[in-house]
Amino acid sequence: MLLANLSLTARRSVSHRLAVIFFALIVSVPIAWALFAVAGQALDSAALHALWQQPQARSALALSVWTALVSGVLAWLTAARLLAIGFVHQTLMRWMQHLPALLATPHAAMAIALVLWLSPSGWLLRLVSPTLTGFQSPPDWSTTQDPWGLGLILALWLKEVPFLLWIGATQLRRDDIRRRWQSEYGLAQTLGYPPSAAFARVVWPQLALTLRWPLLAVVAYGLGVVDMALILGPTTPPTFAVLSWQWLGDANVAQQAMGAVAAGVLTGCVALMAALIMYGRATRWLLVRGTMAVVQWPPLTTPVSLATSAHGVPPRWTVRAKRYAHSYGLWAALLVAYLLSWFALAVGSVSGLWPFPHVWPAQWTMGAWQQVGRSTATLWNTFALALASATFCMAWCMAWLELAPRAWHAALRPWLLLPMVLPAIVWVIGLYSVALFVRLEGQWLGLIGAHAVMVLPYVLLALEPAYQSVDARQGAVAASLGRSRWAYLFAVKWPQLMPALMAAWAIGFAVSVAQYLPTLYVGAGRFDTVTTEAVTLAANGQRTFMSAYAALQMLLPIAIFWLASVMGRPRQFARSAS
Amino acid sequence: MTTQGLQVNTVSLGQGARTWIRDDAFSVAPGEVLTIMGPSGSGKSSLLAAIAGTLGNVSVDLEPLTFVGDVRLHSQVITHLPAHQRGIGLVYQEALLFAHMTVAENLLFAVPQRMPRVERAATIQAALTEIELADFGDRDPGTLSGGQRARVAIMRALLAKPKAILLDEPFAQLDETLRAQMRAWVYAQVNARGIPAVLVTHDRRDIPASGRVHTLQREATHVG
Repeated sequence: MLLANLSLTARRSVSHRLAVIFFALIVSVPIAWALFAVAGQALDSAALHALWQQPQARSALALSVWTALVSGVLAWLTAARLLAIGFVHQTLMRWMQHLPALLATPHAAMAIALVLWLSPSGWLLRLVSPTLTGFQSPPDWSTTQDPWGLGLILALWLKEVPFLLWIGATQLRRDDIRRRWQSEYGLAQTLGYPPSAAFARVVWPQLALTLRWPLLAVVAYGLGVVDMALILGPTTPPTFAVLSWQWLGDANVAQQAMGAVAAGVLTGCVALMAALIMYGRATRWLLVRGTMAVVQWPPLTTPVSLATSAHGVPPRWTVRAKRYAHSYGLWAALLVAYLLSWFALAVGSVSGLWPFPHVWPAQWTMGAWQQVGRSTATLWNTFALALASATFCMAWCMAWLELAPRAWHAALRPWLLLPMVLPAIVWVIGLYSVALFVRLEGQWLGLIGAHAVMVLPYVLLALEPAYQSVDARQGAVAASLGRSRWAYLFAVKWPQLMPALMAAWAIGFAVSVAQYLPTLYVGAGRFDTVTTEAVTLAANGQRTFMSAYAALQMLLPIAIFWLASVMGRPRQFARSAS
Repeated sequence: MTTQGLQVNTVSLGQGARTWIRDDAFSVAPGEVLTIMGPSGSGKSSLLAAIAGTLGNVSVDLEPLTFVGDVRLHSQVITHLPAHQRGIGLVYQEALLFAHMTVAENLLFAVPQRMPRVERAATIQAALTEIELADFGDRDPGTLSGGQRARVAIMRALLAKPKAILLDEPFAQLDETLRAQMRAWVYAQVNARGIPAVLVTHDRRDIPASGRVHTLQREATHVG
């Protein structure tokens, strides 16, 4: 790496410098401008005073902090345990093959699926009614929009575990890190530590530190989420982000100002969380040491007796069954939760008349899907927006990671990742101001730009590890063979990076499809996508239609993930020479 | 009859259709350093992993490495035991000091946790003094020189009180003067503790005076 950097420095020309400056500017100017614009509106002291007088404001804020923290802690513990199992049993890379489907399930679709399961007229109660409960009609319970936000917590928890797992696994995908951690883990065992303790004490402390800021992104997402909270969250009061969103949409200017200030308050909360998670000594202790018990208990058995059998005799089936449960139990539970959600959406989207205690609909209908098929504008908007923003972000990241000197990248990186950490509501206010100024509000270009800002950090995160693991000496070899830089990129580097490039593109696509606030706000309500449709239909309680749009919201990214995995499939070689 | 020391009897060691070692056997007496030599890719490091019980950690995406055979320590078969119950120390060419711990914490990691706190601290200080790093306890292992790192790594392995020790090219990253010193020190340690030691190396100068050498052939058999 060092060698390559030196040779780059030597070669750096004026045009190279200009290119780096150009690429830095086209991304950093809109981001900085949006932040500047929102700062002006969020620091309005009169509106802040008015906000403080609102009776709902404080309890709404407490509710937001509660749901974000509880779901964040649950996701952290679950991901820690899954990473431990995946590492010790070496199943992590196999799990990664299913992870895209979990990641591609949009937050809103997950929320709608949980409504189908948990609501008073949902499947869970239908399964036990009237046999166990005696209910002939749905009870007057608030199981989905419960005042404690438990439904919202559950949905956030389920959605954030795959994200933490993904970031953790990308660390382990880097050959240098993986080899080192595996050697250290083996070494700790030779020093007398059983496998789970060896992982907990040697690998986990190093892995956990790299997962701190993804955790921050998780908590920040929980604080700022609007679409999920509209579907599943409490209503009296709603979460603080929803309150802010409602005020922003008000015709009254004073209410709008209050909404902007509320977004500023949310940002303050995120900043506080950031300080705690990234710099707090006590939090650091809790995240690493406090999690160790969960990471190593119940203890995981070693796969050694499978690999090294004394007399060629495999272990007893009871031993193997237990090992199987240990290796796959928690992961299977997560997969089952997702499968049940997808199943609920699929059935919901073709259900007609469905009287309460019946487990299955009395009538089946394709009406919702026929309407989906007719709404070509919605489909086209969704697809075109996702395609344009994901492709732009991938191209930008490829150029940037190729050209930018390390110091530049290090300086710009926190700004590029900011859209992941700051509440979406802050971005839409800022980006809308920018779009207004350049007269792109309600225009395709403005909307693509807004989506690109939200998509960029995910694409960058997906690509970075792959770029770091490229052995830069290959460039030197190619050059010494007399080949140009472009020949090296086309013939050596990009083909090697193809799986990562395709995966990053698909992730960008999925992130764009799931966007709710930017589409609505920067698009000035002129662009319907499957996500805005699904949330609106869910708010109106239209089961069949909301299920169909939520299913579609999921099918589009999954189709793209499948396409990406086909296009990015690594080359297959003959196994044996003879 | 019980035989003291370490006996390794390999029927086969390989991955998938490839076999690196077939029908190989050697034994090491307590206090002896046996040197294993062989061309690159002859499976030396995998053999050490099989003896230590860490073979399962070696591969992730690939097919697992398979060892058929048995490992005996003082006549007891330990092949079925997991790594942490075998009591076999392993030292790699890269010192593999844990980056998130200080030098002292790295050593402390190997000291049995049953030992009282004061006693553990004294053990660590004595160990640091013995490897001439008395004032380095609080240092980041990344700031140590190559020779210092190697000494800490070997001392860490010894502090776990292993019943046998495996050395995978432990001197390869040291310069010539340091190598000579380190060899003498390590062989003296092995001798003083009376534990069997297996040394894998490419450098004939690493072979201890009048030490035995076991040579692996490059097998590279392809089946099918």
